[in-house]
Amino acid sequence: MTGIVRRLRRRPPRYSAAALVWRGMRGDHWPRIWRDTELKRSYDAVVIGGGVHGLATAYYLARNHGITDVAVLDKAYLGSGASGRNTAIVRANYLTPEGVAFYDRSLQLYNSMALDLNINVMMSERGHLTLAHSDSSLRTMHWRAEVNKLQGVNSSVIGPDEISEIAPSLDTSSHPRYPILGALHHPPGGIVRHDAVVWGYARAADHMGVELHQKTEVLDIVCEGGEGSNGKGAGGRVVGVRTNRGDISTPIVVNCTAGWAGLISAMAGVRLPITTHPLQAAVTEPVKVFLPTVVVSGSLHVYISQTDRGELVFGAAVDPVATYSIRGSLEFTEELAGHVLELMPSVSRMRLLRQWAGLCDMTPDYSPVMGFTPVDGFLVDVGWGTYGFKAAPVSGEQMAEAVATGRTPELISPFALSRFDTGELVGEKGAASVGH
Amino acid sequence: MLLVPCPNCGPRNWSDLRYGGESHARPDPATATPLQWRGYLYLRDNPAGWLRENWYCRSGCRRWFTVERNTATNEFRDPPMPGDKRGAKA
Amino acid sequence: MTMSRLGTARPTEVVDRSSKVRFRWNGKRFSGFEGDTIASALAAAGEHVFSRSMKYHRPRGILTADYWDPNLMVQVGDDPNVRAGHRLLEAGMDVRAQNVWPSLHRDIKALNGLVGRFLTAGFYYKTFMRPAWLWPTYERVLATFAPGGRIDPDTPHRYHDKRYTHPDVVVAGAGPAGIEAALAASAAGARVLLVEHEHAVGGHLRYSSSASARAALAELRAALDASDVEVLTDSTVTGRYEDNWLAIVQRSHPIAVERLIKARAKMLVVAPGLIERPYVFAGNDRPGVITSGAARRLINLWGVRPGERAVVFAANSAGDAAAADLDRVGVEVAAVIDGRDHRRVSAAQGSPKAVEAVLAGGSRIEADLLVVAAGWTAPTSLLNMAGDRPVYDPAAARFFASDPPGNVLVAGGLAGDGSLDELRAHAAATGRLAAQRAAAVAHRLQARTARARPAEGAEPAWAPDERTPLDRDPHPELYRSDTHGMVDFSEDVGSKDLVAAAREGYDSVELAKRYTTATMGPSQGKLETVNTVAAIAEARGETIAEVGTTVWRPPFAPITLGALAGRVFEPVRVSSIQPWHEANGVTTILAGQWVRPDHYGDPAAEVRNVRTNVGLIDVTPLGKLDLRGPDIPKLLNLLYTNKWSKLAVGKVRYGMMCAEDGVVLDDGVTGRLGPDHYLMTTTSSGAGAIWEWVENWLQTERPDWKVHVTPVTTAYVSINVAGPKARELVGRVSEGVDVSPEAFAYMEVRTATVAGVDGCFMWRIGFTGELSFEIHAPAGHGLHVWEALMAAGKDLGVGPFGLEAQRIMRLEKGHFIVGQDTDGLTLGPSTGLSPLIKLDKDDFAGKPELAWATERRLPVIVAIQPDDAGVVPAEASQIVRGETNEILGRITSSRLSPTLGRSICLGQVEPELAAGGTKLTVLLTSGERISATVMDHHAHFDPAGERLRG
Repeated sequence: MTGIVRRLRRRPPRYSAAALVWRGMRGDHWPRIWRDTELKRSYDAVVIGGGVHGLATAYYLARNHGITDVAVLDKAYLGSGASGRNTAIVRANYLTPEGVAFYDRSLQLYNSMALDLNINVMMSERGHLTLAHSDSSLRTMHWRAEVNKLQGVNSSVIGPDEISEIAPSLDTSSHPRYPILGALHHPPGGIVRHDAVVWGYARAADHMGVELHQKTEVLDIVCEGGEGSNGKGAGGRVVGVRTNRGDISTPIVVNCTAGWAGLISAMAGVRLPITTHPLQAAVTEPVKVFLPTVVVSGSLHVYISQTDRGELVFGAAVDPVATYSIRGSLEFTEELAGHVLELMPSVSRMRLLRQWAGLCDMTPDYSPVMGFTPVDGFLVDVGWGTYGFKAAPVSGEQMAEAVATGRTPELISPFALSRFDTGELVGEKGAASVGH
Repeated sequence: MLLVPCPNCGPRNWSDLRYGGESHARPDPATATPLQWRGYLYLRDNPAGWLRENWYCRSGCRRWFTVERNTATNEFRDPPMPGDKRGAKA
Repeated sequence: MTMSRLGTARPTEVVDRSSKVRFRWNGKRFSGFEGDTIASALAAAGEHVFSRSMKYHRPRGILTADYWDPNLMVQVGDDPNVRAGHRLLEAGMDVRAQNVWPSLHRDIKALNGLVGRFLTAGFYYKTFMRPAWLWPTYERVLATFAPGGRIDPDTPHRYHDKRYTHPDVVVAGAGPAGIEAALAASAAGARVLLVEHEHAVGGHLRYSSSASARAALAELRAALDASDVEVLTDSTVTGRYEDNWLAIVQRSHPIAVERLIKARAKMLVVAPGLIERPYVFAGNDRPGVITSGAARRLINLWGVRPGERAVVFAANSAGDAAAADLDRVGVEVAAVIDGRDHRRVSAAQGSPKAVEAVLAGGSRIEADLLVVAAGWTAPTSLLNMAGDRPVYDPAAARFFASDPPGNVLVAGGLAGDGSLDELRAHAAATGRLAAQRAAAVAHRLQARTARARPAEGAEPAWAPDERTPLDRDPHPELYRSDTHGMVDFSEDVGSKDLVAAAREGYDSVELAKRYTTATMGPSQGKLETVNTVAAIAEARGETIAEVGTTVWRPPFAPITLGALAGRVFEPVRVSSIQPWHEANGVTTILAGQWVRPDHYGDPAAEVRNVRTNVGLIDVTPLGKLDLRGPDIPKLLNLLYTNKWSKLAVGKVRYGMMCAEDGVVLDDGVTGRLGPDHYLMTTTSSGAGAIWEWVENWLQTERPDWKVHVTPVTTAYVSINVAGPKARELVGRVSEGVDVSPEAFAYMEVRTATVAGVDGCFMWRIGFTGELSFEIHAPAGHGLHVWEALMAAGKDLGVGPFGLEAQRIMRLEKGHFIVGQDTDGLTLGPSTGLSPLIKLDKDDFAGKPELAWATERRLPVIVAIQPDDAGVVPAEASQIVRGETNEILGRITSSRLSPTLGRSICLGQVEPELAAGGTKLTVLLTSGERISATVMDHHAHFDPAGERLRG
């Protein structure tokens, strides 16, 4: 990377209780959280996708590597995709050593995020229970716990009595259909306010000179020298992007989209092992807080948490049919409610308030595709399935390092696109079902 | 709930069927290179538009069949579903 | 204000003044009348504060007096967030205010209001960060502000029902337009379902004082009674999904607590009317400030006088009607402020029971009631769900449909304005159009069902929309006055918050919504969406059309989880022998859908009995596929990794299946029963998936092959008779088969009559490692065959054994279990069965990957014995390198072997550790590291297999 100018940092207006009181007394308004800038004709790097991954990548490019001539482009508004539609669960209790190390780093970055970014992202380290309803899923919980312990991650398998103490609303009786036989307990897991993560990265990146462009849709990626049509494809290199607001020249394009990862990559002539499926979620009306932890059941395809506002937030597995339509379905809410009541009959009278869906790019091995591609200057941070939010900080950090150094950082080397050429898939697929 | 046009059973709730994903040809195992075979295993076109795909009518005729669906709107081509967007405006 | 029951009944009144209903409110005794809502009864009793607001705990009173009233959420018994403006009063109800601390009238958290200017929208994002260790405490305090009712931990999932229906036309909303549309569609021959959100049909006619409105309503009701239209009241079309799949929530049902109705409608007519929108000004959330609709409903439906002295702010005829109604029942109308003349209400002030209206310009009017008619929100929710993007019309000051799909039509106030006759005429045309199109849809559906009765006649033409569009009455755009006030009543978000958010850069409607939480609360935008958009538009200097609106997401009206779940249909499966198991002290285990015998008290004793005498195990869940046809050998060659061309009639063979990526998919034995007749078995858990997999190969890759597949898993009961005395026992109960070793060898299959039951077949296989006969008997006779075997073998020491004993014995024999000892990445060669992978076959599933796998370093499944024979490492214990944390493998199965008196395991290890005699370090779950040894064979016991061949 040449020609990178480290820009003078603007001093951000700090957020604090004192500042709130001071501005409140004076009746002052807060300044804009990020600037509204003109789209330039050229950048050192362009990040496609203004979600948590794209914004984190831009932030770490600026903070860790001094690369600030960066534009983040989003076709709608910042956080409009999966970043604002997920159920905001974070955890590190994965199955494979490479998965555990990666998500553990992410969790560390989440824990220090409020101070790093000077915005309260409301990291709620409330613990995470993955329920087991059969001896085979209990065996998988033990497997995860053992691998976690070896990586220094706090996970253990607990029995129904301990589960009852942590979450009394769960029905741990010898239930006729899906008895709760045990759970993987992961105290460092929890939930984060997802929108605040988007805004925090955006604000911090903006302060360091990164430009954020909303309503800027990428129409094509301009390449040369590749074996495909128009110089795209393997062996080629990126020279720019075309947008609905004009053309940009740039040697680096990072695809940080979810739901549209395949379409964006196709613009550079890169084919991905991805199918796009909707993931639905729903929220109830608020009630007084009674569920102090995150509860997941892989067999029942449901995860449940209660926000500080009192709503129960539910998620499920992705819809089985590949589609870009995200209108949501009734059968999702029916199945969801049935499964929630299996676990917690007492919420039968709570009312479902809203359902929504987001798009998930599913890969064959439940692991992302990260790093370099056969097109020089075109990097991907895609294929995030249902676990993209929890990986955002570490993904941004590692992708920024890849861009800045031109080398694949070790932490993300298991997730290279080339693994689908050699058939050496990531072992997260080893567990029959993936929890959230 | 989406209605899927089973050629034998007529339009059925999609939950009556098994989704078989993108329809793609199996390479000849005798001659396929690793890249070709793994392309068949893992790579997908995944278009936001018309897609040829397979369904299995597991609760009805138990036949696998191939149809074209627009993944952006969930319309089926040949035959179109009655009433919704395209059928209505036709 | 002081509300009270009017002395004389109104002609439109729905309460039965002769029938008193007693209930409790915050522990005190109250009474109302039959037909009252909770809110109307309390209002009639003079209550004026019903709840406290979410953030500032401001007192809140009646606002809209209907389902959508954000201030009337109460707890009724164990039912939280009940809409008191809608829920009918029932005798003995225990009603309590929510979100109050410690009580409704003395709420300490109201102090938050004093520091309100510091608690600006999103303030929590800007503070509570230091010191970091204090955040969990802050979080707990914040969580106490969660609004809403309480969950009673003992609430059961009561009886809920669901209904499916396939009407031609569903009409959402039974106001005059909805009724008219339903009648017209029905008259045109359509089967019609008319769904009304309120407790009775009629819409705004129900609370209109005009005699002509009452006459029209009576006429419509009579016509409805005489028609074939099915009417649901207290029910809401709450979701519209693909292909007009509709969710209808029926709140009043004689049996179910709440019922979900799923309707596949050929046509949907959306006629929900309009929702009255609050006006934003200082103090607009004070008790005593109510909508014109609330005033008219209180007076005309429940006979409640809403105050003594009122100011009416009227920007439309609904406001005029409210002023007239107030006057009619003796409320002094101090002033009518006409919004059409650019006059504005600026603020509402005063002591708790008074409302002083401050007008733009500063003049003040003393009153105790301020009635506001500032305009309408079009509830376009169902249109949004159908993919429509409604468009704002500034002249009419509301949104209208833009381009809904052809099977969704709009009628009534959502479509436009006009006289009652004009609206009815438009609605009738809509109903006729819906009926015509429904007939066309029905014809197409029929025509596409090839195997059903052919559709009659030619397909009806798709009727064009030739309705005369309704006019749109001009309406002033009244969103905010010259002061700031409340926008989202359920979230306590004011216009000031929205302006501040927009200035801070959260300037698109979605960002502002997320930042301030406006429209995110229980009212979900019904009252506040347009005011939210208006506030942002104002801050940005743009029009409402430019800012756009948030997307209305389902459900339109909230629905209980109980109703969505309905009855729990999660079936379990048992074999026909289950009664015997239960009578004999079984402990069951759930395996997928199957309830299976795990053991009968002492699994180790069961193992010993099988190894010395004979035991019976019920293995009915074993997947079974009956295959018929001449091309079966070709199919088996394609599905299994090994060869099948030379399997003779009467022979059985073991096979492993791999997926196209080479990963182990399933295994089992398949036997040849006749020249063109085979029985394939699969693992119990794989039964369903393998059947579909086989069909997929046959139908898509090899459609020319003649093979017919029938799943027969539950057609047969499967009993494995195992142990040295198995032959003696089977011989005693079988006819038509010679069980001698010479006539019936290992890995052979025979048909037989067992215990008098014809049509059984049996094969000799050996999962347990003992001489064993697996008998498959017609399921209906399963219990009989089992009991006959038990009776015949008494002197042989026969006893039952369960899954646990079987697992111990298979582990002693070193047989792996797919999915336990293998995982989602285990390739065929890892199992140690490479000799069964015949790469010289032309083709089989996964062949290329399995060929390339020979070049790869793959983990290997090996038998392992801990050096300390008494230590059984838990399954999933990791195998590590020495004292490091480097993972080299894991224990996949482990048991204490009763036969060998020692601990035995199977595990997956890195290939360099696979040789017999290799020393391993196993990390126990306790953290202790133990040494273990890799064995030469998978079998810990009888590696030569002499016992099972006997």
